[in-house]
This record gives sequence, C-alpha cells and structure tokens, in this order.
Amino acid sequence: MERDIILKEIGKILIPLVQLFGIYVIINGHLSPGGGFSGGTILGTSLIIMHLIYGENFIKNLYSKKKLILIISISLIFYTLIKGYSFLSTELNLPHPPIGNPGNILSSGFILPLNIAVGLLVASIFYVIFSIFIRDEV
Amino acid sequence: MINYIPILNILILILFSFIIIIVKNNKKVKFISLASNIFVFFLSIILARKVLTQNIITLSLGDPNNLLGIEFLISKPEAVIGLIFTFVMVMILWYSNFYLEKEVSENRISFFYLLINILLASLLGVIYTNDLFNSYVFIEISTLSACGIIILKDKKENIKATIKYLIMSTIGSGLVLMAIAYIYSITGHLNISNIHEIIITNYQFHRNAVLIILGLFTVGLGIKSAVFPLHSWLPDAHSSAPTPASAVLSALVIKVYVFMLIKILFRMFSYEIVNSFIIMDIILLLGSMGMIFGSIMAIMQKELKRMVAYSSVAQMGYIVFGIGLGTISGTAIAIYHIIGHAVTKSSLFLISGLLIDKTGSKKIEDLKGIGKEMPFTLGLFTLGAFSMVGIPILPGFISKWYLSLTCIEVGRVPLILIILASSLLNVLYYFPIVINGYFGNDNLEGKIYKAKKIPFINLLPIILLVISMVVIGGMSYNLIGLFNI
Amino acid sequence: MDILLTNYFETGAIILFGVGFATLMLHRNLIKKIIGMNIMDTAIFLFFIAKGYIKGKEAPIITDSFKGVSNYINPVPSALMLTGIVVAVTTTAFALALTIKLHKHYNTVDLDIILRMRGDQND
Repeated sequence: MERDIILKEIGKILIPLVQLFGIYVIINGHLSPGGGFSGGTILGTSLIIMHLIYGENFIKNLYSKKKLILIISISLIFYTLIKGYSFLSTELNLPHPPIGNPGNILSSGFILPLNIAVGLLVASIFYVIFSIFIRDEV
Repeated sequence: MINYIPILNILILILFSFIIIIVKNNKKVKFISLASNIFVFFLSIILARKVLTQNIITLSLGDPNNLLGIEFLISKPEAVIGLIFTFVMVMILWYSNFYLEKEVSENRISFFYLLINILLASLLGVIYTNDLFNSYVFIEISTLSACGIIILKDKKENIKATIKYLIMSTIGSGLVLMAIAYIYSITGHLNISNIHEIIITNYQFHRNAVLIILGLFTVGLGIKSAVFPLHSWLPDAHSSAPTPASAVLSALVIKVYVFMLIKILFRMFSYEIVNSFIIMDIILLLGSMGMIFGSIMAIMQKELKRMVAYSSVAQMGYIVFGIGLGTISGTAIAIYHIIGHAVTKSSLFLISGLLIDKTGSKKIEDLKGIGKEMPFTLGLFTLGAFSMVGIPILPGFISKWYLSLTCIEVGRVPLILIILASSLLNVLYYFPIVINGYFGNDNLEGKIYKAKKIPFINLLPIILLVISMVVIGGMSYNLIGLFNI
Repeated sequence: MDILLTNYFETGAIILFGVGFATLMLHRNLIKKIIGMNIMDTAIFLFFIAKGYIKGKEAPIITDSFKGVSNYINPVPSALMLTGIVVAVTTTAFALALTIKLHKHYNTVDLDIILRMRGDQND
C-alpha cells in the first residue's frame, strides 16, 4: 500500500524528533518526571508510526520480530539481575555504584541502567503487541 | 544469606523464565524449567528448616524502617506452604515433561514453562509478602499467567473459559485495589504489621470503613479463590485447561488467594476486630454453602475433569468454613487443609489426565472397567478419593475431624451436620468411579484401548504426591501445631 | 452532603467506580465490559492519587533548594498508581486479544450468546 508523499516527508522530519524525545525521557528519568515506562511508550509509538507510514517491510528490515524478542528477553534478564543485585547488596555490603551528584546524568546508582532496560523493553513490547494485533495473529 | 532465600526464590524463577524466551529447543526448555524449580524447592527446604528453629524471618527491601520499602515476612505457615507448593510444582512439571505434547501443540510448549515459572514466582510472592500493594501486583501477575496457561490449548471452550476467568478476576482485583486504597487512606501505611499496630487502637472510630474494607477484601479475594456463589468461572477454566495446568490452577492458584485473605483477616486486623463484625458469619455461611452445593453440583457432572473441578469448589468450602469459625484453631485447620488439598487435588487431576488419555474419552461412564486395564493408577486415584471423602489418617479426614472438634469448642454443634453431609455427598461422586472402575464390565468387550502401558517412571511423580499426602496426614498433629497465626 | 462536597475527589472517584463496576457487570458486549474495567481502574487511580495530593503543593522533585517536607505532596500514591497503570494496560491488552480471538471463533462479541453456545460440540 502506497502512502501519501506528504505523510512520508513529514514522517522523515518528525519521527527522529519523537525518538529523540523518547530517549531524552528515558535518560533523564531519574532527574525529572518520566522514566523507563513513559519514555519507552514514546519510543514504541514512534515504531508504530513508522509501521503505519512506511509499511510493514520497512520496519521488518530494521527490527525483525526475532530481534525484538531478543531485546525484550535480554533487557528483562538484565533488569532482574541488576534489581536482584541491588536488593541483595544493601545489607550484604557488596560494592554499590556511587550515588553521584544530584542533577548529573550519571548519578543515582542503578536507576539509570534500570530505566534504559525498561525503556527498551517497553518500546519493543508495545510494538510487538501492535504488530500482533494488526497482523491478526492474536 | 538464608534470610534472603524468599527474594532469591522469586528472582531465580523469574530470571529463568526470561531465559526460556530465548531458548528455542523444547527439550532444553523443559530441563531449564525443571532445574530451576528443583533448585527453588531445595532453597525452600533450607528456608523452612531455618524458620522452624527461628519462628519468624523478616526481610526488608529498599527501606530498613519499612515505611516505604517492601517487607517479606516468613513465619511457619508461609514457610510450610511455600515448601509444599514448590514440591507440588516440581511434581507437576515432571509429569508435564512427558504429558504436555498430548494436549498442547509443539510450538506452544515453551510458553507453558515460561508462564509456569512466572506463576510460581508470583504465587510465592503473594505467600511471602507483608506489603499490601506488593501483594496486589503479585496477584495480578498470577492471574494473568494463570489465564495464559488455560489458553495454551487453542480451542473454543478454552478461550471462552479464559475470558470468563479474566473478567471475573478483574472485578476481584478492582475490589481488592479499592480496599487497599481505603486502608491506605485510614492508616497511611501499606505494610501489614504497621497497619495492624494502627488499626488495633483506632478501629472503633472507623467502624463503617473497616466493615467496607472487610467486605471488599472478602468478595475480591473470594472471587479469585472461587468461594461458593462466586465460583462460576472455576469449572470451565479448570476442566478445559491442559491437565498439568488444571492441576496447578486447582491445587495452588486458588489457595494462595485464600491464604492472603487469612493474612488480611487475622494478621492485619485481628480475631478481636473481625469477630465483632458480621463478616465472619457471612464467611461461615458461604463456606458451608460451598461444602454442600459444590458437592451436589459435582454429583451432577458427566465429565471426569469437570467433576474434580467442582470438587475443588466444595473443598474451598472447607477452607473458608475453617476461616469463618474465627478462632486460632479454625484458621490452623484452614491452613492445614490448604496444603492437604494442594497435594491431593494435584494428584487427582494428574491421574484423571492419564485416565482420559488412556480411554480417549472425557466422560465418567466410559471409565467402567478401567481398573482391569490400569489397576495401579486407579489405586492411586482411590487413595486420593479416600482422602477427599475422609478415610482416617488421610488429610481430608484430619481436617474434617479437627473442624468438628473446633465447632464443638466454639459451641456451634449443629455445624457438624454440614461437615457430615458434605462427606456423604463426597462419597456419592468419588466412589462410583472407583467401584465401576474395578468391578464394572460392560465396556470391556470389543473395546480397544488407545494407549500403551504407562511406564513406571512416568507414574513416579503421582506416586510421590500420594506418598506425601499420606505423610501429611500422618504428621497432622505436628503440622496443625505450627499453623497458629 | 457537606462531607461529600469537601471531599469531591473521593466522591467523584466512588461515582466513577460505580459506573465502571455497573458497566463491567451489566453489559453483555465484551468491548463495553473492557471499557467498564478501564473506568473502574481509573476511578481507583483517582481515589488513590487524591489521597496523596495536597492543594497548592508541588511535586517532590527537588531542583534548586529543599523547601521543607510540608511543601510537597505525598509521592507514594502516585508511584503506586504508576504500577497500577501498567497492570491495567496489560490486562486490557490481554482482554482485547482474547476478544478478537473469540470473535473469530463465534462471530459475536456478546458474552451471553457466547456462553449459551456449548464450545465442545464442534471440536
């Protein structure tokens, strides 16, 4: 199905901005409102828009379903390991990343990597859910 | 390190369930799932041994003052229930390793193990946690994964049963969340021990709110644990699911919610508070109605798995009856019945799966004469049925006996009649299967049975379950002594 | 009446909860049931967040200087409800997927008709 040229051209300009905003919300999640889930939703939405404008094949070449599921499971495993370590480390006196300066991007210990893992997970899972629904594979 | 076993159990199960997503090979998936569950089982043994010597383990995560953090509290009932549940789960996984292909298509098998791992993790979470909101999250995870294992068999009735279950349990979880909102607005805490301290001194000023909270929790968790008038989803869901899944659902999933109700009624509130409201009488009434009507509806069923599922409704009636008596001994018997029934009902479901597979028919009447074909399997079924009916030493008898004693203790002697009537009704639907199975002849002529002989190694999980059932019955005196919340 | 008006957030939340609950219980259409489920969940979120909100106080994000505990709202209910929203999203997605599947098999989304049909006859 061929889409309108206006849609495609506007998409070329807007989608990178949407993705940039999503990444900003994820990375800045420990300093301002936002975080992994909200940022991940924005990223996932950008993937859905790409699917709707440029068609299924365009996004399949970029992110195949296999790749998405790999991202999902790896970020889940990463999340479980880091979160479990942070649960266990507080009272077992295991080494802990420095808290850092409040206000810096690299601060607040485990929260930044956890946010990134959640963001990747939510973005891919939103797109997977969408593609399952739209391809009638429920 | 032993103090961290509860969180380790949950983390290990969840971690391995995510590794299962990547692994493609079904054999490896089975191995990973079974190995992680066995590991968790051993950890639970260590935990239970520690708790038996030390009485109580608390584990604060996040915030040492547990004003904001999550707290796990493991006393003796939690440790024993966790131990029995992991044991039952290992046995069911062992069984499903050779059984599951018969009911579930090849490409969906890894989903079963993925969901089972998440399900067990969330069930253990509900058992261990001492935090209301955390328990809500675990309850939701367990409901969704339970829906997932029902729908693995891609048939019309499964989808219907799943949507029924999902809608009913959404109502239930909505009510539970509302109750949590109420209690948070009264006390400002989510930790059950902290709430208890505040509410024990202040409940006279909030009598209406406390009544609403009790009602919301009872109905919400009652829907999820299939207490009698709210049970309509259970027979469909439990009978249409693949057999290992129905064993998990019937033996473990519904029990966890009723245990949560016990924790809320008697640990968050107290015997004194709940007995001053009408709610305990209502719970008692629901329990006795469940005991009678669940059995009556089980008698009317024509399919084996449906009958066993309705029997679960009746057995939930016993547990709720024990809670409704509102005494320490009543609660102890309710918890004893939780573990006794978990072991018994899982073995009954697994055996009925084998029987159905052997005869190729779901109907009870086609089971006539099956005892000549597979006498040992039907013998195991008979033992389970004996426990349900209440033959001495087996757990079913013990709970009925102690329930009657407690009825006398609280001065409600007429209630013994209900227990007696329910036992007689149990005889009416379990014994025909056994008797017709051993002595019925009319199906034998000209009948070709589908399956070959079942190898002994495949029967072993069921044998272990039945042995543990007898052991639980034999150790009843010691076990009930542990369960005084 | 006065209590209801001063606690207008809670009143509204309970009314919404009633609307959602009634929709979930009484409607036969599955899509409407799912909408009712969402209304019910949202009502609980409103109730919870209203418990933590204090009029005129700001969100507890400290940018320049700490203004004292009494100048911020209680962040715990908002944090809890974020989890609640995630749970509600998951349940909704699952229910919608099931509804599509049911429609494929039964050609209707009316739960009463679906329940009246015995599924196991044409397996």
